[in-house]
Amino acid sequence: MGNFSVGFNLRDTVQVLSLKGELDAHTASELEAAIQKCKDDGQYRIIVNGANLHYISSAGLGVFMAFIEEVRNEGGDIKIAALQPKVFNVFDLLGFPLLFNIVDTEDEAIHLFEKQN
Amino acid sequence: MLLLVFCTLLIASTAYLLVMGTAGHPSVPIELAYHLSLLICYGALWLLLADVLKDQRATPEKAFWNVLAVGAVCFGLAFAVLYLIPGGFHEGRPLSISTILKGFLLSGLQAVFYFVLLLFFRDLVLLRRTKKSIRNWNLMLASMTLAAALGVVDSMGNTETYNPSAYWVAGLVPATLCIAVNVLSISWIVRLSFRRKMKAIGFSVLLLLFLRLVVWLGQGVELPGTQDPVGLLPVQSDYLHTYSAALSTFMLLAGVFGVVYCIAVILSLVFHLPTTSDYQRRADEMAVMHSLTDLVNQVFDLDKLASTITESPVRAGSATAAWLAIADPETGSLAPRVLATHNIEQSLVTERVDTAALFREVRLTGKRLVLDQAMRDRRVSTASGDGVASLVVIPLIARSKVLGGLFVASNVPNGFQQDDVETITVFAAQAALALENARLFEEQVERERLSQELAIARQVQGKLLPQNLPSIGGLSLAASSVPAQEVGGDYYDFVKLDDGRLAFIVADVSGKGTSAAFYMAEMQGIFQSVTHLAAQPAEFLTHANRAISVLLERNTFISVIYGLFDPARKEIALARAGHCPAAAVSASGNARFLRSRGLGLGLDSGVLFRETLEIEHVSLGQGDIFVFYTDGVVESRDESGEEYGFDRLLASICRHRHEDAHDLHDAVLRDLDQFLGGNRQYGDDLTIVVFKWHGHGQSSPDKDRVIT
Repeated sequence: MGNFSVGFNLRDTVQVLSLKGELDAHTASELEAAIQKCKDDGQYRIIVNGANLHYISSAGLGVFMAFIEEVRNEGGDIKIAALQPKVFNVFDLLGFPLLFNIVDTEDEAIHLFEKQN
Repeated sequence: MLLLVFCTLLIASTAYLLVMGTAGHPSVPIELAYHLSLLICYGALWLLLADVLKDQRATPEKAFWNVLAVGAVCFGLAFAVLYLIPGGFHEGRPLSISTILKGFLLSGLQAVFYFVLLLFFRDLVLLRRTKKSIRNWNLMLASMTLAAALGVVDSMGNTETYNPSAYWVAGLVPATLCIAVNVLSISWIVRLSFRRKMKAIGFSVLLLLFLRLVVWLGQGVELPGTQDPVGLLPVQSDYLHTYSAALSTFMLLAGVFGVVYCIAVILSLVFHLPTTSDYQRRADEMAVMHSLTDLVNQVFDLDKLASTITESPVRAGSATAAWLAIADPETGSLAPRVLATHNIEQSLVTERVDTAALFREVRLTGKRLVLDQAMRDRRVSTASGDGVASLVVIPLIARSKVLGGLFVASNVPNGFQQDDVETITVFAAQAALALENARLFEEQVERERLSQELAIARQVQGKLLPQNLPSIGGLSLAASSVPAQEVGGDYYDFVKLDDGRLAFIVADVSGKGTSAAFYMAEMQGIFQSVTHLAAQPAEFLTHANRAISVLLERNTFISVIYGLFDPARKEIALARAGHCPAAAVSASGNARFLRSRGLGLGLDSGVLFRETLEIEHVSLGQGDIFVFYTDGVVESRDESGEEYGFDRLLASICRHRHEDAHDLHDAVLRDLDQFLGGNRQYGDDLTIVVFKWHGHGQSSPDKDRVIT
């Protein structure tokens, strides 16, 4: 079922990754590759926009966990924005809001990055 | 039957001759009948002989030898008959009865000889049986018979002296043409070895001389001591001609065929002698290639196959050493591994020849590489005694994938001719196919082994789940867990503590399959041991989180619901570490999810986990139901992609809240199945644990059970 894609959009100094489709065990590697690319480009300020993400599985959540420590050690962060309610619920059940900034809009996430500066 | 026909007609025709020979000219119909019966008679003889020689699949040289032997016997007998039986001719007419008998015996012996000759030569001419060759042969026999028949017409009414006529010549032309065509069927010659060719030459020369002698005698040479012209092959000899002009013509033609065929054989044998060794070598190469082709279907042992492949070019002749290098199919690495060597030390190959660089080149081009002066190539640093003076590298390509390279070396420069390289290339194609097949076979074996191992793993994992549910007064329990694959990451368990309390857990390792199953097993170990030391939810989960976090991969975590049920105080203390919230339904239909705060295990190994974890204490009322489950339940989708969801689950529990735990469990699963329709294959591991508090004094049903 899962067609999944990642769109790249650089907003100022923040890399926005727009997720589309379903993020599960099969498609998790694509998000992994996308974040790896950000890392390779030296881009550690990352916003994941979930406006078009319809589904996320635990394997999908694992991708965020895999990178967050390293990204933060480099002074960056992964912020999550504009999740659909159902997807947010999955993040929320696991306690992700305790670990990540999960905000309603991409602008809000940008704003958070600006505040950190 | 044939014998009977032969004998009867023979006797009849002899009788005819005996009567008519002295009596004078017969009438035309009678003479025709005589010739016809003779034709049938000798036709029967032909079939008889053909039947006798049917199974004589003689080699060419043996065929010549057999013809010679039969010829000698016939000739000897004929000679004896000629001298022992008196009789002769006067002006073309037999003198006495004994003359007729003589003619009959001589003709018979000749017929036997020529028939045998034709039959043996037939096997040679038709060694390569094709429609065409068989047609040509039959055409020749037919035309010879036709010529013979015309000879009869010719002889009739012309018995005084023999005088060829237009009929006879007309019959000879097609026969001669057919003989010329059949004489060219000598392709069997090339396949003979040198020794056998020499043998064949010897025998065919002897046979030719014999035939020449026979013809010479037959032409009417007067032998010393006799007055009569004799002839074993009396082309114009009176005996045979008188006996049957048809037979004499047929035998003349058979003799001509024999002579011409012998000449053709001798000439082409002589011409082919020098190329024998080349042909032999080619044949050897073909044999080796065939043996390799057989191996394609037989050998699935990669090592054995590899050594056969390296052996083959050396055995075929042109190469003195060979080795086989295979690229690692797993990593797709460009550096191939030398799998087998033949006639050369593996260490020498790896040290002195840059196999990887040579392989890279043939891999890129997909074409073979021929180094006539291998030692001048920078990739080869062998010394002159190492046996790599020229080198051919051939890519092994199967299913348009380069598997590796076959390296074939000769100990002399320019050691490979064009045709050698071609042959080895054909080898290589076969070898590549064989290797690929062996690899696929091994993969298949591996797959089967894995599926067996997984079946065992599934059994083992099944044993990690409780085999019997604990029995607690006033409480009924039901539980089941179905992994999406052979093994899964879901876990539920119970531990009855000494003080009567019951600790229970439902956990879900992120991801599916084998890795999840390992962590599930870890979780089982932690639960079974830590619960006894730290039964309180906060304590237990903190310990468990610390213990499991060091083991988990960074992208893996475990969501857990842990509870401690105290029957004395009729209370459950519950903690939710990132797990799906438990559904709580009261007897009155009050339904809700218990969604206390808590991080999944492995997300944070430090203080955050402990500080954020909330414990929920729930007092039990009679008929209260708690359903714990994994996300496989709520995330199951029907065919349209719609998730089952929390609301449907809660509604289903509510509907069946008056059942006991066991029936409620089944009913909830049934509702889920109904929703999924035909889409019964769960996408994720699926676990459901049902608690129902019946209250003290109520019988706790014995129906508690586990479904795994």
